[in-house]
Amino acid sequence: MTATRVVGRSLPRMDAPGKVTGSAVYAADFALPGMLYGKVLRSREPHARLVRIDASRAVRLPGVRAALTAADVADVRYGGSVKDEEVFARDRVRFAGQPLAAVAATSLEAATAALAAIDVVLEPLPPVLEVAAALAPGAPLVHEGWAGYAALPILHRDGNVCNRARIVVGDVERGFEEADRIFEQRFTTPSVHQGYTEPRAAVAQWDSAGQVTVWSNTQLPFEIQNTLAEILQVPLSRVRVVVPGIGGGFGGKLRVGVEHFAALLARKTGRAVKVMTTSEEELTAAYARQPAIVELKTGVTSDGRLTAREGRLWFDTGAFAGSGPGVASVATLMLAGPYRIPNLLLEGYAVYTHKTNFGSFRAPSGPQANFAVESQMDIIADALGLDPLALRLKNIVREGEEGPTGQVLTAVGLDECLRKAADAIGWKERRPAPGRGKGIACGWWTTTGGSSGVYLKINPDGSVALNTGAAEIGTAALTGAAQVLAEDLGVDLTDVNVVSADTLSTPFDFGAQGSRTAFAVGNACRAAVADLKRQVFALAAGHLGVDESALELRGGAVVAPAAGRRATLAELARLSQASGGGLIAHGTFVAPPTAYDAKRVEGHVYPAFHSPSFHAHAVDLSVDAETGEVTIHRYVVAQDVGFAMNPTYIQGQIEGGVAQGLGQALSEEIVYDGGRVVNANLTDYKMPTAVDVPRIESILVQHPSLVGPFGAKGVGEPPNIEPPAAVANAVASATGVRITSLPITAEKIALALRERPR
Amino acid sequence: MARIPLSLRVNGEAHDLAVEPHRTLLDVLRAELGITGTKENCLEAECGVCTVLLDGMAVNACIVLALQCREREVTTIEGLAAGGALHPVQQAFIDLGAVQCGYCIPGMILAARAYLDGNPTPSEAEIREALAGNLCRCTGYQKIVDAVLSAAGAEVPARR
Repeated sequence: MTATRVVGRSLPRMDAPGKVTGSAVYAADFALPGMLYGKVLRSREPHARLVRIDASRAVRLPGVRAALTAADVADVRYGGSVKDEEVFARDRVRFAGQPLAAVAATSLEAATAALAAIDVVLEPLPPVLEVAAALAPGAPLVHEGWAGYAALPILHRDGNVCNRARIVVGDVERGFEEADRIFEQRFTTPSVHQGYTEPRAAVAQWDSAGQVTVWSNTQLPFEIQNTLAEILQVPLSRVRVVVPGIGGGFGGKLRVGVEHFAALLARKTGRAVKVMTTSEEELTAAYARQPAIVELKTGVTSDGRLTAREGRLWFDTGAFAGSGPGVASVATLMLAGPYRIPNLLLEGYAVYTHKTNFGSFRAPSGPQANFAVESQMDIIADALGLDPLALRLKNIVREGEEGPTGQVLTAVGLDECLRKAADAIGWKERRPAPGRGKGIACGWWTTTGGSSGVYLKINPDGSVALNTGAAEIGTAALTGAAQVLAEDLGVDLTDVNVVSADTLSTPFDFGAQGSRTAFAVGNACRAAVADLKRQVFALAAGHLGVDESALELRGGAVVAPAAGRRATLAELARLSQASGGGLIAHGTFVAPPTAYDAKRVEGHVYPAFHSPSFHAHAVDLSVDAETGEVTIHRYVVAQDVGFAMNPTYIQGQIEGGVAQGLGQALSEEIVYDGGRVVNANLTDYKMPTAVDVPRIESILVQHPSLVGPFGAKGVGEPPNIEPPAAVANAVASATGVRITSLPITAEKIALALRERPR
Repeated sequence: MARIPLSLRVNGEAHDLAVEPHRTLLDVLRAELGITGTKENCLEAECGVCTVLLDGMAVNACIVLALQCREREVTTIEGLAAGGALHPVQQAFIDLGAVQCGYCIPGMILAARAYLDGNPTPSEAEIREALAGNLCRCTGYQKIVDAVLSAAGAEVPARR
């Protein structure tokens, strides 16, 4: 590859100055004159009949401008793959935290007082709180009317199961017969919250023409636009969603959260209304990661060749399907692991319970499935007397081989990732001292496809406006895309300005999800530059008096090398402004479909991983023999990023993803008791602080994707996948104790150490 | 509730206000004065995004009553860049890639600034301890710690 000037360099992100000076505006900061404050009344019961709700006393309180219940909104069910959600409980409450009513008032205090004045009578019903209870014969149905809901036709739904996704390859029974040993384990993981520091927030205002504008910190403005049009029962064109700025998302800001309450209250009052969540609402009624149960049965020959795997993963998706059916699908690909296993029977279930609607969290299904798969790989290695690294190297997928659903894998950098991570951690000395051990885990992940469009506007000073429907959620993905653009145009990154995420004016984008933004928007920028070239070459040919075929775009100018003539983009933009309305180019990208064998899948909404990434994590830690406390000495990540668009921010993704993963590994859990969350605050929900996270070493492996801009692959989600498994394996290496449930708390380790045979 | 007169000095400028006794400094900064660089999240002093300096000391503005700030100097992130030039901590956060979503960053920078004022040559462990009241979910803290080390003129550990 020829040397690059802009892309591939660790340039400072474009939005950094505003963020260090406080001038960057986030949705939580957004305010309008005369704005009211909205609050939501939520059920305390996990399952109940709504006998009566009456807000008439609340609306008469001072400062209160409106109160809404189910009776005041259209009776619509909305949702992603299953339309099972409603704005307010109508006759049945399905989780503790479900909205019952919303109020708008001139102050937050008045709104809070109004909630207390709403008369609610709930008749508690026995809740279904665990997956096992939901699947038991004769279990009460969380949705008695499930069969009548609109849903994606490919889903396999049955009662409390809102999807069963399946991969079948070969014949697992025959594969188990070929095995010398069969390993069966069960693993469990709890719900964990994305932990973004900015609460979900939205401000809505209707204009006199009947259009509502919603300023929200959503990751998916175009999806929110659709959902709001459904809920509000207005044409799509009457809804405008704008993203001012986002204080972190990690998948938790994909689906409608507070936008609909703001829009409904604003319509009712004729005033702008702001709604923002509290930490308690976040931990009880948001889109936290699905709790999971994983059962894995794997056959292996005595020399360590995997012959068959039967695996099932049950997600507690809570009271509504939400992301569950899709995440259950992705889980089956993760249960295969990045391994060559000829016989597979893998199932992912999304199961309704009376809990909040769990959702997508950075690499949804990844950490849960990987914890099981990679813990079991170490269990197998120990039992067979094999080195865990050697067992992995023997079974990993390699260039040109098939993934579990038959996709042909290319740019497979996994061998290099495993070897580099192992070398860096000093794998040869795996138990350097008593109570100290090293662990390794590897995995794969997708670069989500979907389409992206961009417009480029060349300004008369030669600067470029990049107009994209994607939102910058903090990853610096739009800085990466702008680097791609600047590279192709031959301008500097500082010549590019970004306009983003306004459904009225920016081109469509599938959204800031699935590690796709820099990848997809970057490619759309490349397409836009091609369009721009056609325009400026035609313009410059006339201007310079040379043939178009003699022209090149170089250094921010159109040049005719043979004739020794050139016209800068600034000149051409001015020329175009005088003669043709200015220079605007359009570029689009849609990830090409990844071929797979459709006969291998059922109920599957995500049958192949696009431009997959591969990664290995290695950790060196000590365990206190008395307290069970874990101290991490070193943590190494080797990640195949395809091409490092901006190494600094890729390291940032790795460091942040690992920190979040270590929280899931060691300390984080949303704890339920009787269907109610008991630790709904940031003291009892334990996210890692600066003293808890070790220094993380990043090794960027680069096996270029055939599709990504300059070979880039998705980067953002993967670092969150392997930490729980890597830590579990290192704890086992250090102590001989295998913990099969997350989080791996000091308490669990200490108890296991006491029970350990001596 | 009755409003009580308050002259509040923020970033060197006096504001004559009348506030209810239960109003927090955070609420007054954001809602009354429109100074939104000070962020809002947990409102229980658990996350640190609302960190400001009160007479040079880092405090969580969500649990300080506005009336407690009478005759004291409040510094927010907007007051840190003197005469348009970024404070060295701000510049280091840009240069070392310590900013992602940025929502925790104003509080983080002010906590670091206050700490460095009292301990200009801290160790990495001391910096981590000083920032332990400020949650960040994007960065894993590493580049933030490096930025503070760099602003203090210390050597930043070589990274892989």
